Amino acid sequence: MSIFNSWPGATSSYEGVDAYFTSADSEGTLIFWTLVSIAILIFTTWSAAKHESETDKNTK
Amino acid sequence: MTLEQLSSYVIAQSATVAEGWYYIMTGLMVAIHVGFLMYEVGASRMQNAVSSGVKNLLAFAFMIPTFWLFGWYIYLAFPHGLVPMDMEGYGVPWNVSMGPMLSDQLTGVFWAAFTLFACTTASVFSGAVIERIRISSFVFLAVLLGSVCWNLGASWGWHFDGWLVTKFGYHDVAAAGVVHMIAGWFAFGVILNLGPRVGRYNDDGSMNELEGHDLRFSFVGLLMIIVGFFGFLGACLIWPGLPALDMQEVTTWTQIYGAPATLSSFAYNTLMGLAGGMIGAFWMSKGNPFWMMSGGLAGIFSCASGLDIWYPGLAFVLGTVGGIIIIPANDLLHKIFKVDDPVGAVAVHGVAGIWGVLAMGIFASGYPGASDAIPAVSFYGQFVGCITMFAVGFIPGYGVSFVMKMMGWLRVPDHVQQAGIDKAELGLRATNY
Repeated sequence: MSIFNSWPGATSSYEGVDAYFTSADSEGTLIFWTLVSIAILIFTTWSAAKHESETDKNTK
Repeated sequence: MTLEQLSSYVIAQSATVAEGWYYIMTGLMVAIHVGFLMYEVGASRMQNAVSSGVKNLLAFAFMIPTFWLFGWYIYLAFPHGLVPMDMEGYGVPWNVSMGPMLSDQLTGVFWAAFTLFACTTASVFSGAVIERIRISSFVFLAVLLGSVCWNLGASWGWHFDGWLVTKFGYHDVAAAGVVHMIAGWFAFGVILNLGPRVGRYNDDGSMNELEGHDLRFSFVGLLMIIVGFFGFLGACLIWPGLPALDMQEVTTWTQIYGAPATLSSFAYNTLMGLAGGMIGAFWMSKGNPFWMMSGGLAGIFSCASGLDIWYPGLAFVLGTVGGIIIIPANDLLHKIFKVDDPVGAVAVHGVAGIWGVLAMGIFASGYPGASDAIPAVSFYGQFVGCITMFAVGFIPGYGVSFVMKMMGWLRVPDHVQQAGIDKAELGLRATNY
């Protein structure tokens, strides 16, 4: 089966489609979004830890 | 209608209804998290109630993407031990299998149900550490538990090809060991390093009760957890005849190992175990409603390993025993280790989980495996499973939290605890009355 909705570009047909999501035919793009997701999780955790350390100092 | 049309219709209906079942069970499991949030907020003192709730919300939010990133892959790839199977990319986040496929309606909803199982393990851990763990540290540890440790245990003992199942006949259909033991003993490992809340212990070693600010929240929360567990347990069953598992000849539900099961067996034994646990804890605690509700949960976990096969009367007895033992177990853990487990999570999940796994070996020894590849249930097999689940939970929980403690990244400093975490960190208060 072919892959739907290649990146960049609009949907052309549902005919013979299996994977139907954005960028499904571009593994590099999927890896890119995966890395962005990981970066968001790491940044948020680091940011929360930083806020906690500042609270520690400010509460003394 | 031609035979081909009828066949196409039946296949389409079967796949779509199966998909719908897991979708609805996933939604129902959200009630577990509503329940844990309410329970822990109620069990926290007013000055820390908001931060306790934030912790629960973040556990939920972080578990979902991390389970997508690596949790699901770990479950699928490690049934044979610590070396991953070659799945040709299946299950890694940049593979098309981890997005919507028209040829595969089920992976997405299975992933969703397992994600909510993972969130449940994190919520179990969450209650044990309220009022003194740093939120960022909690998130990291929750991800370790829910998207790594639990998945390994599930891959080994909650998978038709897991080594505990195929070599030892380990039988744990509703996850007494795989979820509750791992989460409970992971929590124990962490609280050994985290230390008690300020004011919990006196210098002479005697213990003070630090009462939560609103018992009503805890009551409703515990009941909500029970509501959500019907979703959890419903999602533990495999829809009849799913072609992907080559079970076309089976006309009823199967449990996760592939043997026939029914929703009725789950309904009988969940309710009977719940009632037994409540009554046992009611008697043991001399009417303490907090323990009575926790006993209800422990009663369900006491029956969880054999939820597919228990006689309901036996399930009631197992639940009663579970409800009774968690109270002295909780007292003993506090007395010996001087830990602080404000909601009794280690006893309710860790100890009742042990009882549930071993009860299977005591009362259902010789029960046949689902196929020739799976040995019959034995006490030895359940005991090996028990040790394994304890290790998968306790060792990483203790080891990683020890390193975090050395780094100064685990505990809210005592002066911040005394000031109140809500005010100091969030600038909020739980209520205005």
